[in-house]
Formats: sequence, structure tokens, C-alpha cells
Amino acid sequence: MDLATVESRAEPRAFSPKHDLPEEYRTGATRMLQFHANSEIMGAYLEKPFIRQSPSLDRKLAFSAKVQDEIGHGQLLYRAAEALGVKTREQMLDELANGEGKFLNCFHYEMTDWWETPMIAFFVDGAAMKRQATLKNSSWEPYAHAMDKICFEEGFHIKHGEDVLRELATGSKREQKLLQEAFEEWWPRILQFFGPTDDQSTHHDFMAKVGLKTASNDELRQAFLNSYVPKAEKYGLEIPDEPRIHYDEDAGGYVLEEDDLDWEEFFAITKNDYEPGLNQIDTRAAAQEAVEWVRTSLDASDSPAAAAAGGD
Amino acid sequence: MRYEVFRQDKPGAYHTHCGDVHAPDREMALLFAQIQHGRRMQTNSLWVVPKEEIGEVDTDEAAFGGTTDKAYRWATTYNVDASFAEEIEASEREQAAEERKRGSDD
Amino acid sequence: MAATDDVADLAPDERAALEALLFRMADDEFVLAERYTEWQVRAPTLESDLALANIAQDELGHARLWYDALQGLGYSEPELVWERNPADFRHSILVELPFTGGDWADPIVRSYLYDEAEHLRLQALEDAPVRALADPIGKVQREEEYHREHAQSWLERLCDDAEGREAVEAAVGRLFGPALTLFVPGEHEATVERMGLRSESLADQREQWLDVVVPFLGSLGVEVPFGPEEDVDDLLPERVGRDGNHTDDWPALHEELTRTYRELGRSDARRLRGERRE
Repeated sequence: MDLATVESRAEPRAFSPKHDLPEEYRTGATRMLQFHANSEIMGAYLEKPFIRQSPSLDRKLAFSAKVQDEIGHGQLLYRAAEALGVKTREQMLDELANGEGKFLNCFHYEMTDWWETPMIAFFVDGAAMKRQATLKNSSWEPYAHAMDKICFEEGFHIKHGEDVLRELATGSKREQKLLQEAFEEWWPRILQFFGPTDDQSTHHDFMAKVGLKTASNDELRQAFLNSYVPKAEKYGLEIPDEPRIHYDEDAGGYVLEEDDLDWEEFFAITKNDYEPGLNQIDTRAAAQEAVEWVRTSLDASDSPAAAAAGGD
Repeated sequence: MRYEVFRQDKPGAYHTHCGDVHAPDREMALLFAQIQHGRRMQTNSLWVVPKEEIGEVDTDEAAFGGTTDKAYRWATTYNVDASFAEEIEASEREQAAEERKRGSDD
Repeated sequence: MAATDDVADLAPDERAALEALLFRMADDEFVLAERYTEWQVRAPTLESDLALANIAQDELGHARLWYDALQGLGYSEPELVWERNPADFRHSILVELPFTGGDWADPIVRSYLYDEAEHLRLQALEDAPVRALADPIGKVQREEEYHREHAQSWLERLCDDAEGREAVEAAVGRLFGPALTLFVPGEHEATVERMGLRSESLADQREQWLDVVVPFLGSLGVEVPFGPEEDVDDLLPERVGRDGNHTDDWPALHEELTRTYRELGRSDARRLRGERRE
């Protein structure tokens, strides 16, 4: 199939592993899926310490279940990526370990305290859900299928995140203060979640034409702000003065002054060139390396069975 | 040799099991499956899989989703309003439907 | 003793014995789960990560169930977990020992030794004449079946090659003594026996356990750390946990897991709203 044919047929869920797809499509979709899958793993990495830090048994169960789900999402997405025939899951996990693999800006920052957790579990996950819901219409069928299951599960994550947020927001004065501080620290990063405006986004045009991106960064950020700013306000969080956002009656939504955001930091992060993120990549890599012997051992015991099955 | 057959009715849909065919090899299995399972039902794609390659575990052997309380895994457990975002509401709705199905199996 | 669902009928010493039994189980499951979660995002593969996370949640759920039973006896969650003196916990030291990074054989061996014992412990409680004890057993056992199958399958795979078998044998050597502490009686043992709460004594359970785990490990080419003529009791560590005497790893872990609770000055532990309990 040539690129023109792909563009003309780029309906939701139109392309499956059966199709002979052009190189550009395969590499574009692989890059996107690998980024998405890596982000699930690094998000889980960031949240994992809070299984231990949870201040009640029910919270601990919920946090463990959430981290488990995120790893499960990684599993689904690497599979959808693998089906493109460009990279194996092992390659992608190795690339994540050696610092080549890219992932979401928010997961490059450190998260050290419980009162920060809703920033990821409610706001960042909420932002991700805005994007993920649109990806149910990806032209790459395995991606859309992964999204069916991921979106199904995410409702728990975000409602749980909001429940933690509510508990802190209605807690002691000190809890409210710590929550506000966490919000101020995370808010600019959350606004950068969707990346720069579309005209600065290099891959956007191609990805939109072949049905891999079904909504623009601006549209998604707009939708996110429309849903989540009122929520933040409901819980008494004050939106920081900068970066400036204001509600535009004519546009029917929020407008963000993008220049108020630190794009230098953002682009350093997108190149895996930002210190806390690098540290997180390396410690995860060390953990992955430490159990390499088990994977080797499994592969060794795998092979006779694989040979007996005579698969091609 | 027996091949299990999975049919996808239209592009983008899931392949679901629809029966089997007896055939000497994969190529013949695909030929037979087209006729036996695709001649009338709307079909976009078929998969054939050797029967012996399919493993199974069922409710006699496994407690899918656990037997003790796992309510913490479900969106419906959390008393916060999901209606602020269409996609969260949809997720919650899907989970509620799944829970009802699970419940009616008990 | 006749079956009772009203613990108010119990004499004070009987009530203390029932509580002690519940604490042993709840604390074992709680601390084991806490340790298991360390493997989340660190397991050898994505699939094994999901499976061990699930086992951790099962065990934590079982802990919650037994802590719930204790709440029925008047305790609150903060008293049971968050504000409790670590020296008052009665879990076996097997479950509190820290993991060494990358040593996947440890959680597998630990799970194997623990879950085989857990299976026997639950079996012995199936007909306990106290409903709070007997009622949840079926549901808990159902989940434990997966744990045992999971541990056994992993042991078989790991022992398929020399490096894996060595790691398993090292873990067995290290954990066998601590696992024996699972069967060490507590202060109220005589009353537990007199009340007929268990159908098998701890000593009998230990014999049955040895009859299962030693041959199974042997069948995998893994040697247990005692000879046929040697007394297995020689392996019993000095600190057993059952009397509140723990290794230093336990207060450190307790300190860590109560950090948020303490830092926020909480006095209550959040129960999820809208939750349906069976």
C-alpha cells in the first residue's frame, strides 16, 4: 500500500497487521505507541512508592491496583507497537532502559510526597484520558483495541485520583496548603502535557493524515481545561497567576498564554536531557538489569517447547 | 488436524471464535474456513489456529477477578461525580455494565 | 465449644486467644503483601509483574479481612495498623525480611514456603466454632490456590537451569529457618487448643508442611538446609516474630509505611465510600 492509499483509507481501525503498510506509517505509529507504552511504565515507576506511602489499607490496595493496571497498559501498548513489525517489545524496553526511549514530560519529574499524588492520578491521568479517548479512533486497529481496554480501566484511576484529591482538599488546613503547593508546582507541567501548539509540532500533519492522530494538541488541551479547571476550583485550588489562562467567551473555552511556559525545560525533557528524569530512567534500568538472569533462564526453558511446536 | 477459527466481521472489529475446520495444514484450513465460516456471515478476516496450540483455563479451575472483595478496582466504588468528563463517564458506565454481568454469574 | 457468631459469649481469655489468632494471620498477610509490592515495576517481565502485584493485593485483601474481624472486636484501623507499636505485631519474621534487588528467587521461594503453610493453616480453621474465623476461609483459600500454583510453576521453571536452581537453593537455605517461625505458638496457644479453634495443631501442621515442601524441593534438585539425621529445630532463628520479637527490618518497614499517616497527623484511615462488602 502506498502513502496516498493509506491516506485515502485512513478510517478508524482501518489497518491491521495483515496490511502491507508503508515504512512511514509503521515508523510513525511505532514512535507514537512506543512513547505511549514507555509513559505507562514510567508513570507506574513514579507512582509505585505511594503503594507503601498510602495512609490507609484501602488506599494501599487501590494504589497497588492502579500501578498494576499501568504495567498492564504498557503490556497492551507494546503489543500494539510490536504488531507493526518495526521493533520487538524487548528492544523497546531496552531503549527505555538505555535512555533512548522517550516518554511523557510529567513523568520526568520527581514525586516525593503523598499530597502530590492527585497531580498525576487525577490531572495528568485526566489529560491522558482526553487523548486516549480520541485514540479509540486510531487507524491502527491494534492501537484502537488497546485503547478500548485502557479507557475501560482508566475510570477507576481518575475517580480514585479525585477521591484522594477530595480527601486532601477537605482535610486539615495543612493538608489544603500542601495540596495547593503541589498544584502550583505541577500545574505548568500539566499544561505542557499536550506539547506545544500544533504549528510547532513537526509530526502532526503526517500523523493526522494517516489517521494516527485524531485530535490536535490544542483541541485536547482545550477539552482538558474545560473539564479540569472547574474541578480544581471546586476543590478550592487556586489557579496560579502564571502561566496565564483566561476564559474566552467567543471561543467558548480557556486560552493559554503559551509563552509563560518554560519550553526550554520541556524540550530538554523530550530529549531525555533533564536530571530527575534521567535518574528515574537509570534506576528503573538498574532494576530491569537485575532480573535479566530470570528472562535468560525463561528463554532457555522456552526454546525446546517453541521448537516442538514447529512455529514459523 | 483440527484448526479453531476466529472471525472478524468488519475492519477494526475483534476476531471472535466461530468454530473449527479439519484440514491437513494451515493453508488448507484457511481455504476450508472461508467456505465453512465465511460464506454467509459478514466476514472481513479469519484466523485459524491449531487446536493443540490453544490453552484453556475456566471457572472450575480459576477464580477470575478474585473471590474476596476487590471493590477498590472499580470506578463505581468512588463517590465522586464522573459526569464532568464524557470519557470518564463512559469508562464508569462500561465498568458498571461489566460488574452487573459478573454479579449475575454468581 | 458450640459454634458462635457472638463473641460477647466468649470468656476474656477465650476472646484474647481469638484475637491473637486473628492478629497472627492479619499481620502475616499484611506484611507479606507490603514486601511483595516492592516487586511492582521491578519484576522480570510485564506479565510476571502483573501476577505478583495481584498476589500482593490478594494478601493485602486477606489482611484487611482479618483486620475487619478484629474491628468487629472493637479495634479501629489506626489501632490495628497505623498507630500500633511495631513490637505488638505478631507476624512471622519470614514475611518481614527485605528483598535483595534482582533476587527473584526470593519472593518465589518465600511465597512457596508461606503459601503451603497458609493452605494448611486455613484448612485447620475451616470448621472453627467462631464464624468470624470460619466464614471467610473458603473465599481466601480459593485465591490461595493460585498463589501455590504460581509459586510451584515458577520454581519448576527456575530450576530448569543451573543458575536458576542455584538462586532457588540459596533462597531456600536463607528462608527455611525463618519459615519455621510460621508454626511457632504464641502466648495464648493453650487456650486456642482448648477452644478447638484449629482442627490441627501447629506442630502437626509443621509436620505436614515438611512432608510437602521437602520432597517437592527435592524433586527439583534443590537441597534443604538440613540433613535427614539433623533436627530441623536447629534452623529456628533466635527472633521468631510471633512473640513481638522481630528483626530490625520490621520497625524500619513500619516507620516507612506509616510515614504519610504520621506526616499528615492523621487520626483516621480512609475507608472507600460506596464500597459493597460481602
